[in-house]
Parts: sequence; C-alpha cells; structure tokens
Amino acid sequence: MFKPLNKILVNPIRLMIVSVLMKAENCDFNFLKQLTKTTQGNLSIQLKKLKECGYISIDKSFEKNYPKTNCKITKAGVKSFKEHFENLKEYQNLNLKHKS
Amino acid sequence: MEDQIQLINDVINKTKENLKESSFSFIFWGSLIAILSFFHYTYPEVVQQTHYSLLLYWILIPIIGMVITLVYNIKKRVKVGYETHVGRSLKIIWGVFNISWILLIFISIEKKINPTESILFLLGVMILITGLLIRFKPFSFGGISVIICSILCVYTPNNSWLLLNGIAAVFGLLIPGITLYYRKPNV
Repeated sequence: MFKPLNKILVNPIRLMIVSVLMKAENCDFNFLKQLTKTTQGNLSIQLKKLKECGYISIDKSFEKNYPKTNCKITKAGVKSFKEHFENLKEYQNLNLKHKS
Repeated sequence: MEDQIQLINDVINKTKENLKESSFSFIFWGSLIAILSFFHYTYPEVVQQTHYSLLLYWILIPIIGMVITLVYNIKKRVKVGYETHVGRSLKIIWGVFNISWILLIFISIEKKINPTESILFLLGVMILITGLLIRFKPFSFGGISVIICSILCVYTPNNSWLLLNGIAAVFGLLIPGITLYYRKPNV
C-alpha cells in the first residue's frame, strides 16, 4: 500500500527549504528567500512551521547591527525528508505503470 | 508528484559547492610558500642574519597570510549565504592544519630540529584528504607529491630542503589551485 505524503513537506516552499538544507550544512534567510522566490513574510511563516514540527533549527544573531537568521536541518527533518522522497518515488512509479 | 521530485532536484542543483572560489587559498599559499622558499634558498644571508630574523620570516609572514585568507573566507561565506557539508569538512581540516604547523614549529625549536619534513608531510596528507573529499584528482596527486617531497627532505643536504619546499608548494598547492580555478563547474 502507498503511504500518505508528509503534509508538511507537500507545500513547495517548505519542500524547497528542507531540500536545500539536506545539501547545505546551514544557510541564511536571504539565500532561502532568493532560492524560494517568496516574500519575507511567507518565508518566515514556513520556517516557523518547520521549526514547530522539529524539522529545522533556527539560530538568530546580529551581524553589523543587522539581524541574521541561520537554518539547519535536524535529524527528524532528515528522516522525514527521506521518507517523503521515497514515498514520492513510489507514487511516480505508479504513474509510469498507468501510462504503459 | 513529478513536479515535487523536479523541485527537489532543481533546488539541490542550485546549492552547489562553489569550489572555484576556494581555489584562491591554494593559489595564494602555493605562491607564498614557493616565493619564501626560493628567496631563502637564493639569499640565505638575508634571511638568516639572526636566529630571530629566520623565525620572523617563517612564522610572521605565514601568520599574516593566515589572517588574509581567514578574512577572505569569512567574506566569501557571507556573500554565498550557505555552507555545504563538504565546505564545513574542508574548513575543519584546514583549521586543524593551521594550528598544527605552528605547534610543529615550536616543538622543532625545542628539539633543535628542522620542522620542514613534518610540516610537509602533514600538508601533503591534508591536500590528499582535500582531493579525495572534493573528488578532484590534481589535489590528490598534489598531496602525494608533497608527501614524496617530505620524505626526500630527510635525505637532502644543507639548504636544499628549501628547494624541495618550494617545489612541493608549486606541485601541491599552486598547480592544483590554478587547475581548480579553471575547472568547468559540474552541471
């Protein structure tokens, strides 16, 4: 039986954030905003959601009097992303079977 | 579903390890060590005027070099906005090397021995590890050539170790650094 997809990671912005954090040790808010091409407010909401689920950790500091936000993925985030990716591949194979 | 998988691929591809910018450190250090070595070999009377001038030459100038590369790397990190796992590993490896070579010099001063073989061997190992981590053969070969130079230093008389030091810097750092700079980025 096919497993349901992770409701948190189905959102494209949240999926992009977690995907990049799988590759990067950490990245800052500005890079994520540039990558996801979303507004500051929306990105903050998505990051907060991911943090509440325990998928990422957020570190806030100051650099030259400007706030700096750095994000890192947690072990729970890595596990959830891997499960979500595997489930996506299963669904994709289902589509291929229908086409043939 | 395919859109989601494509999204993951696109995002991961955008978060590439930008190794070209890392080549600056290798080119800088390769050039600096080569120049210091060949100058010392050519004009030993200038460098070895006193015991302290020798220490200043081989400790103070590299420490200034370390500060320059540290500032460059910090500014690069801020500009890029992220740090990959490989990038962090490289940062740790070279951070450990930067402390180790200074400690080796102090140990050598106490034991009254030439630190060149030890530092070159350590440098060769670090370059080899870097080459294996970033999967770039010029660095792996560069590391092996520096290790060979460190072994040859043991059998080299007088100040000829300086020539080996310079050659090691060229083959271990400068040439791989230049090759990395002109390497085509991975698609």
